[in-house]
Amino acid sequence: MAIHERSLVEPERILRKERLVVDGVDVSGDWNLIILPRVIDDYDLDFAKEIINSPDGKTITQCYQCSYCTASCPVHNYWDERYNPRHFIYLARLGLIDELQKRADVMWRCVSCHKCTHRCPKGVLVEEVLKVILRTMAKKGLIDEYPSKKFDKFFTESVLEYGRIEDGELLFGWIEKQGYKVFKDPILRKPIPFIGETPEWLKQLTMKPLKSMNISFLVLNAKHMLFHPRTKNWNKFKHVLRKVMQEEGALN
Amino acid sequence: MGAIGKRVAYYPGCSLEGAARAYDVSTRIVARELGLELDYLEDYNCCGAMESKNVTFMGTMLLNARNMSLARKQGHNAIVAPCNGCSFSLQRAEYFLETDKAVFDKVNALLREGGVDPLDQIPQTYHILEWFYHEAGPQKVKEKTKRPLRGLKVANYYGCLYTRPHFYARTYAHAGGQEEARPRRRETADDDEHPYYMNALLEAAGATSVEFEPMHTQCCGGPHSLSDEMVSEKFVMMILQTAKRNGADIIATECPLCHASLEMYRHRLMMKGVPDVDVPAAYFTQLLGLAFGYGVNDVKLKDNLSDPIPVLKRLGLA
Repeated sequence: MAIHERSLVEPERILRKERLVVDGVDVSGDWNLIILPRVIDDYDLDFAKEIINSPDGKTITQCYQCSYCTASCPVHNYWDERYNPRHFIYLARLGLIDELQKRADVMWRCVSCHKCTHRCPKGVLVEEVLKVILRTMAKKGLIDEYPSKKFDKFFTESVLEYGRIEDGELLFGWIEKQGYKVFKDPILRKPIPFIGETPEWLKQLTMKPLKSMNISFLVLNAKHMLFHPRTKNWNKFKHVLRKVMQEEGALN
Repeated sequence: MGAIGKRVAYYPGCSLEGAARAYDVSTRIVARELGLELDYLEDYNCCGAMESKNVTFMGTMLLNARNMSLARKQGHNAIVAPCNGCSFSLQRAEYFLETDKAVFDKVNALLREGGVDPLDQIPQTYHILEWFYHEAGPQKVKEKTKRPLRGLKVANYYGCLYTRPHFYARTYAHAGGQEEARPRRRETADDDEHPYYMNALLEAAGATSVEFEPMHTQCCGGPHSLSDEMVSEKFVMMILQTAKRNGADIIATECPLCHASLEMYRHRLMMKGVPDVDVPAAYFTQLLGLAFGYGVNDVKLKDNLSDPIPVLKRLGLA
């Protein structure tokens, strides 16, 4: 018998009977033990309350589990069927933290394409809600560091410092964080492409503008890498921003 | 037509001042040709893109409110952003500021504390494509076209956030049951599931659009293009192969992040020997610029890492 949403059922919850005949009817095959009665007592309702009380997560209450979000989700459809927005919302509302933790390896994979939010018939801001779930879990220490969070923080710190971001700095900074040894000039401590250790694809990609002799493009980007573009009058605003983010616990 | 205004605040975003310089230059060219005026938003800051909003809610509200305040200071009610990420971030902030009074008051207090004028009213943000379509339109593009893009088969790639922020302006009683907080639908918005503004503008300039659904709004990996390479690579592969197999010569983009993602992963996929991924990408403003009689160097086609020049040369367009 086919099991609906197979990815939600763990292997130990499947009962396999090679030959099973009940009242003269052949019911051999896979059976989902989820139908057996069980008691769950380790739920945490405060978790849902925290999400409901945040300005971007309060629409979680409107969800009626139609699964339109999951059906639209490109990560679910093309990458990993264990990524299931509807199920994450369900678990978060029940406060089943351990079930959420079991899915920690896929939960961060949302690519923010907003198909879920766009199509939700109940007006749940699904993408925002999922990010709030993840953020709340991270804040409570229920989930380990995950790649997108590392990048998000790296990005946000750059915004906080300069007011603007710079593509080269992001790219090389991120490569450095992944363990490559990026060469930096001794004075300004800025990464210099072509010299240190860089992934092969990036080397080839940065060689390309050199070949087509687009000097002004290179000069512009090199200038930006050496002298980071900044927002003027940023200092006073930066302090307010940092204070707000500290209140939210975003900088830990 | 004419709902947005011929003179608007122009929020280029960080990317357009650096790696996506070509988009900035060609956007200015097209706007000038179409008789529209961009008023550069002085001293703007980053919108926080899709990354900061995962870390902090109030922080992104503040970042975007500062830009809105700058636009108000320059006397504008409309902001135009050429980047999907920037226009999304501003529209998202607009939504929360409009529907949630507590957020609005807190943001205004914090703006004052940070030495920025508080918001007297919330300016509306539009994507540049919306603005071109509504303030100039295909008819005007046709009039201005000196060298039609005849024979050029274009796959119009819109990306995620071009059509999909508009849910913010059309859903039911959002914001936790505040019935009165129901923002109007943006009248200038493109069709949600089947956007056509870019098709219309490029067809007016003489190009042919190829069938590209549903990949025209498929995600390119977006905010994870650096942190989750496998997923991005697969998504970009699907987009490029669909374009190629539907006979496209070139992919027209309208977001510097999608563009960078497509070009970067196109290169990596080609290194791996994946078939049917060698479609180059160009910003739609670059193609319009070419149609308006500008040269390859005027619209900075050489900045595109995927090198669309051979394709355009073959058709006698560059």
